[in-house]
Amino acid sequence: MKTVKKFTRVNAKTVEEAVSALRAANAWAMAGGTDLVGTMRFEILPDTMYPKILVNLKTIAPTLDYIKEEKGMLQIGALTRLEDIAKSSVVKSKWAALSEAAHKTASPHIREMGTLGGNICQLTRCWYFRLHDNRFFCVRKGGKTCFAISGENRYHSIFGGVSACMAVNPSDTAPALVALNAKIVTSKRTINAEEFWAVKIPRSTVLENDEIVKEVQIPGPASGVKSAFVKFALRSSIDFPIVNCAAAIGGGTARICLNAVYNRPYRATKAEESIAGKAIDVASAHAAGAAAVTGAIALAMNKWKIQVAAGMVKKAILACA
Amino acid sequence: MPREEKKKSAEENEKDRSGGISRREFTIASMAIFGAASVGEGKAITQVANKKLAQPGIASQATAKLPLTSSARKISLTVNKWKYEVYVEPEWILRDVLRDQLGFLSIKDMCNGYGACGSCTVIMDGRPVLSCMTFAAECDSATIETAEGVAVDMQDLIEAYVMNHCMQCGYCTPGFVVTAKALLDRIPKPTEGEIRDALGGNICRCGTYTQHILAIKEVTGNA
Repeated sequence: MKTVKKFTRVNAKTVEEAVSALRAANAWAMAGGTDLVGTMRFEILPDTMYPKILVNLKTIAPTLDYIKEEKGMLQIGALTRLEDIAKSSVVKSKWAALSEAAHKTASPHIREMGTLGGNICQLTRCWYFRLHDNRFFCVRKGGKTCFAISGENRYHSIFGGVSACMAVNPSDTAPALVALNAKIVTSKRTINAEEFWAVKIPRSTVLENDEIVKEVQIPGPASGVKSAFVKFALRSSIDFPIVNCAAAIGGGTARICLNAVYNRPYRATKAEESIAGKAIDVASAHAAGAAAVTGAIALAMNKWKIQVAAGMVKKAILACA
Repeated sequence: MPREEKKKSAEENEKDRSGGISRREFTIASMAIFGAASVGEGKAITQVANKKLAQPGIASQATAKLPLTSSARKISLTVNKWKYEVYVEPEWILRDVLRDQLGFLSIKDMCNGYGACGSCTVIMDGRPVLSCMTFAAECDSATIETAEGVAVDMQDLIEAYVMNHCMQCGYCTPGFVVTAKALLDRIPKPTEGEIRDALGGNICRCGTYTQHILAIKEVTGNA
C-alpha cells in the first residue's frame, strides 16, 4: 500500500482554532477523512496543492456532533456521522429523503467514518481528476484541458460543463438537502443549500479557505409534503451514484433535485413545474421525468444517462405519492 | 500414499531444504523471538502476548523497525483489551501500525486503501471502521478490537463461520468476522435485511456471501 507523504497535523479543539489554522498556505480541513486520505495517498493533486497542514476537525467532534429538532427545524452538526443520520428515528420520521440519502451513501464502514459536512464538501470523483500521481493535470487542478470532453465520459455531465469542467458532484446527501430546502451554516455565514456548490480549483463548494461547515438546518416539512430519495449505481451497497434524485412534493409545491448529472446538484425546475399541484400517478410522473431532462446535452458516451435521469425523477416522484 | 504420510513427507522435504526447520516451525519460532502481539489462534497465544507488551518502535515479524522523526508522537491504544503505547508519525495509517508494528496479522490489505473492500475493518470505539483510511495519530486512547480479539470474545461466531464454510481462500474472512461482531454488539438478533445491510461493505471474491448470512443467523439462533 502506498504511504502518505509527510505533513503537519493540527488537532483543532474549537471552530475558531480550526479556522485560524486553515489560514496557512496549503492547509486542509479533515473530518472523517474517507475522501482526503485517498486524495493524499494517491497524490492526485499537484505538489503545489498537496496538504502541508492537516487540520483535524474530529477533535471538535463533541460540540458539532448532534441531531436535534428545535421548533420544528432539524439541526444536524457538521461532524455527525452519516450512519447516525441514517439510523436516527427523528430524521426518518419527517425528513425521509435525507435519511434515505445518508443510508444509501457508500458502504456501512464509510458511513461510520464519514460525516455530513464532509459528504457535502467532497471533491469530484472524475476519473481523470482522480488518477494517481496527478497524471491528468486537468482544469480542476489549474490546468487548461478537460480530458473527459474528448476521452472516456460515460459518467460525466449531461447538462454541459462549468469552466470547461465536465465532472459531476458525487454527493448523495446534497440533492436531499436541496430538495428539503436546507440552509448550511458555516463559520462565517449561512448559505442556502442551492448556492452552496460551485466549481473551484480543486474544491466543489463556495467555501473560502478559512471557512468550515458548522451545521445543516432543515425546515420542518409543510403539511402534506412527502420526501423521497432514489439512487442508481452499479452496486447498490457501496458505489458512488451514477444518477440520484431527491424530491419533496405535496401541498401544491414540488422541489426536485438530481445529482451526479452536473457539476453541482441540478434542480430540475421543469419537472417541478410539471408535477406541482397535480395528482401523482405514473403518467404525470413520466411527463415530469421527461421534462426534467429537456435541455440535456449528451457527450460522446453518456446519452444513456439522460434516460436514467428521467427514470430517476419519475421514481422519486412516485415514491412521494 | 495415504494422505497423512504424504503430508508428513512434504513437511520433511521442506525441512531438508531449509536446514532442518519447516515453515510452520519458523513462523512459530519467530513469533517467540519477537514476542509479537496476539497473533492467530485463540486464547493461549493472546495470554502469552500479554506478558510482554509491545514496546514503542519494536520490530515485528512483518517489517523491520521504522525510523522515527521529530514529528512522531506517542499514542496509547487498547487493542483487544491489551494496552499499547506506540510512537507514530502524523502520516502513518492505522492499518500499518496495527499490522506491521504491533503484529495483528488478521488486518488485511486488499483494495490498496480505496476503502472499497472492508478487509481491514476494525471495531474502534464501537464502530466498524476501515483502518486503511484512518491516521494512527488520530486514534490516541481509542479502544480497538481486531479479529484476534473476536476469536477470544465470541467463539460461537468463529465456530459458526467454520461450520458454515464461510471462507474459501479466507483472505477477506477476518474483515467479515469483525463487521459481524460489530453488528451483533448493536443488534443481538438481526434480521436477514440487517445482516445484508451491515456486511454490504465487505467484498469476497470467492462469493461466500450467502454462507455469512447463514452463520450469523445460526449464532443468533435465528436459523
